[in-house]
Amino acid sequence: MKKSHILAIVVIAVAIGAIISMVSDAATYADFQTAEQFPGKEFQVVGQLNKEKDIIYKPEENANQFAFFMIDNNGLERKVVFNGAKPQDFERSEQVVITGHTEGEEFTAEKILMKCPSKYNDGDSEGLTEITADKKS
Amino acid sequence: MEYVGENLIAGKAGEILVILSFISGLLACVFYYFSSSNAYDDSWRKLGRLFFQIQSVSIFSFIAILFYLLATNSFEYYYVWRHSSTQLPLRFILSCFWEGQEGSTMLWLFWNMVLGNILVYTSKKWEGSVMTVVSSVQVFLSAMLLGIFVFDLQIGSNPFTLLREHPDMMNLPFTSNPDYLGFVDGNGLNPLLQNYWMTIHPPTVFLGFASTLIPFAYALVGLWKRKEQEWIKPALPWTYFGIAVLGLGILMGGAWAYEALSFGGFWAWDPVENSSLVPWLIMVAAGHMMLINRTKMRSMFTAFALTLFSFLMVVYSTYLTKSGILGETSVHSFADGLPGQLIVFLLFYVGLSLFFLFRNGWKFLKKSEEDAFWSREFWIFLGSLVLVISCFQITISTSIPVFNALFGTELAPPADPIKHYNSWQLPLTILVTLFVAVSQFLKYKSTPVAQFMKQIAPSLIISLIATVFLAISLEIRLFFLNLLLFTSLFATIANLDYFVRMLKGSVKKGGSALAHIGFGLVILGTLLSAGNKKIISKNRTQVNINFENNENANDENVMLLKGDTVLMEPYYVTYVDRRVIDKYVYYDMDYLKVNENGKYQKEFTLNPFIQLNQQMGNVPEPSTKHYLDRDVFTHITYADLENLDSASQNMYGEADTLQISIGDSLFTSNSVVKLISFERKIDKETYNLDSTDIALGLNITAKPLGGSAYKAMPIMVIRGNAMFSIADDIDELGLQFEFNGVNPDSEKLTVLLAEKNKNAGDFVIMQAIVFPYINVLWIGCIVMFLGTIIAVINRVRTNNEGK
Repeated sequence: MKKSHILAIVVIAVAIGAIISMVSDAATYADFQTAEQFPGKEFQVVGQLNKEKDIIYKPEENANQFAFFMIDNNGLERKVVFNGAKPQDFERSEQVVITGHTEGEEFTAEKILMKCPSKYNDGDSEGLTEITADKKS
Repeated sequence: MEYVGENLIAGKAGEILVILSFISGLLACVFYYFSSSNAYDDSWRKLGRLFFQIQSVSIFSFIAILFYLLATNSFEYYYVWRHSSTQLPLRFILSCFWEGQEGSTMLWLFWNMVLGNILVYTSKKWEGSVMTVVSSVQVFLSAMLLGIFVFDLQIGSNPFTLLREHPDMMNLPFTSNPDYLGFVDGNGLNPLLQNYWMTIHPPTVFLGFASTLIPFAYALVGLWKRKEQEWIKPALPWTYFGIAVLGLGILMGGAWAYEALSFGGFWAWDPVENSSLVPWLIMVAAGHMMLINRTKMRSMFTAFALTLFSFLMVVYSTYLTKSGILGETSVHSFADGLPGQLIVFLLFYVGLSLFFLFRNGWKFLKKSEEDAFWSREFWIFLGSLVLVISCFQITISTSIPVFNALFGTELAPPADPIKHYNSWQLPLTILVTLFVAVSQFLKYKSTPVAQFMKQIAPSLIISLIATVFLAISLEIRLFFLNLLLFTSLFATIANLDYFVRMLKGSVKKGGSALAHIGFGLVILGTLLSAGNKKIISKNRTQVNINFENNENANDENVMLLKGDTVLMEPYYVTYVDRRVIDKYVYYDMDYLKVNENGKYQKEFTLNPFIQLNQQMGNVPEPSTKHYLDRDVFTHITYADLENLDSASQNMYGEADTLQISIGDSLFTSNSVVKLISFERKIDKETYNLDSTDIALGLNITAKPLGGSAYKAMPIMVIRGNAMFSIADDIDELGLQFEFNGVNPDSEKLTVLLAEKNKNAGDFVIMQAIVFPYINVLWIGCIVMFLGTIIAVINRVRTNNEGK
């Protein structure tokens, strides 16, 4: 077998590996209902912050945890817990995209993407903020 | 209606110039095309050149007009209104210019125009055919600025659209006010972009993007005109120029992210970062393939394919960032885009490339011969292959939204992108750095093994010793990180050794060795700083009572009350004060160390700040103390931004309603409050009370820590059937009391206690990270840039001497 054939086989194998890893590492868009059917599995949920309810953040007790109530696009509301500091201006956010999993009654978010309204730029990505909770590793 | 104060001439001129640039680009392309197949008639080439230069002048002019409009705050234009405001300092005008997609398209046009004009005078016999390709790209790009309708299809977006004629504004009330310019202010620039890196990072990246076009044009012409090896020589310096500039631009973006963004690092595998990295990697691979094919055709198909792909990946990147397809997956993508037009742009050149690649390139694939194992070209080929795999992995994971659009899947990008990409890129980088280390010592065609071993042995041994030493002293534990530590040291040291021993330190010949030293240092610096960063703001005191799922709690943030000092190994950090200057809130964070006498001693002060922006949200920006061997990075994660001014600081906040008894005490934020006794003797005249009123006072003392007690006496009054109260306050402590009644059942008193806003502890939540040896990364970046530029200059010189 020629060297080039071996190389070609290795390259194809690695490429397939990369595709598989892309699919398996990708989160899935879902609503709270689906996320609850598979506790522990990663989902990405799009919804809105429930501004009627309080955002729970007590930095004097734990600066690294805050919780809020989010209504997904199907109108289902769940408490979302995020292990990290509350992002600046979180109250102003209009649309929230959270990545994480269901744990018991709550949804534990590892990443929050929030879109703050700008007076004039609807549908524009400006004012988009991303925060990520880093896990202990 | 006559509108007051509008400067309509500039915009009209701009519009006409955009159309002129489109038409003259088209004509340049057509005439150059004719000239390429008419070697005997030089008039076609002259016409092509004339129209390319007419286009150049019009591009330059409409860019100047947009700058003029931005500088004069001409908010009658949507683009100016959208990206600037009267408050914006003039130094950010460049950032405004390329914040929007029309501006960034202009920037791209501009660089293509500059490089195209250099080609006009330097490409000689290649001019006709190469400029056909270059001006065709300019046609596509200027079409993106047209903003005209062909039937229902909008082509391009015109940067000179008037505010009152923009579709989003059409029916708003101000459009019927002739004097609207008197009160309209601009929307302003995204606060994240109000940073000096943002004035130099985009033009550098776009110059890098633009320089992929030249090798692309040469490669395409090479296939088209069957100059299957000759194209490499003139294209080669351009490829390496692109590698140098784009590489520098990408790392400038990293520097911006590190300095202005708050994620604590310089690279986050964001889709937009990825889409500038991929063309660079492909270009590096293409450049190396061109090198090994310039004298003898060995793997010409790969050389063609990669050179074509480096430009196609730039167009694909543009599609990703400008079409809005990334949507919620990226922090900095443009949204309202021109997806259709970009797809046509992309597919046109993909189709053209594939057509020529298979028409002419196929034969190279069949007749390519095997390289010897101990030859330089074999290892360069392997290295390029690894780079291609690396790009493939980054591209497919970044393209998840594209797959969703194509196949209707509902995949979301990986929740932890850094982990996802690193798990692939780390092993691939190990391979690349290893190849970088060995290939300089290998000779073309074949190398005697014993000689190679002898030459590389010193660097190998030194690298191994340095790896063991660093791994132990820096406590690097992960196997793969240690392996990368070794290979990146090996790459750096081997190339340094090659530079010193083989090239005798000759800078002129040493471009490639220097660039590889720089590359090794970039990887080494990344590994040492990012792979080994220490978050020192660990919360040591937190009581965690509210949440049960604590096991994956993030412990990177610490709360600091004003005046607090908290241990952040090896420092003690004090939150001293905050200052509001203009629209910035600065925080003075003192970093202290304990000296021999056991006293705190200030090492340095950092001033992370928050930029207040009503429109687009407040933006925190970190502050970093730079040492030679490490950086201390500090960032305000959260701060209370209400009541920043002194008037509202002196207002009382919402009162707490307390049910307490005589003799009870309670804590306020600054003192101990005690209910002493009732006071029945109230001087009714002082309080303007009627003689029939029943009044009951409450004697209260408030004693601040380490101070003497203050007194207050709120009064409850019963007049007929009604009850009211007279509040009393202690101004010095910012406390206000109200006595509101007695509960007959529990005999408890209702007391309302309010505190001034300034009492409510001014606090910040902060993060502090130490990045060790991050300067190795920046030094590597500069060395890599300079080395590559030296190689380009040397290549251009030998090209010219060859004639």
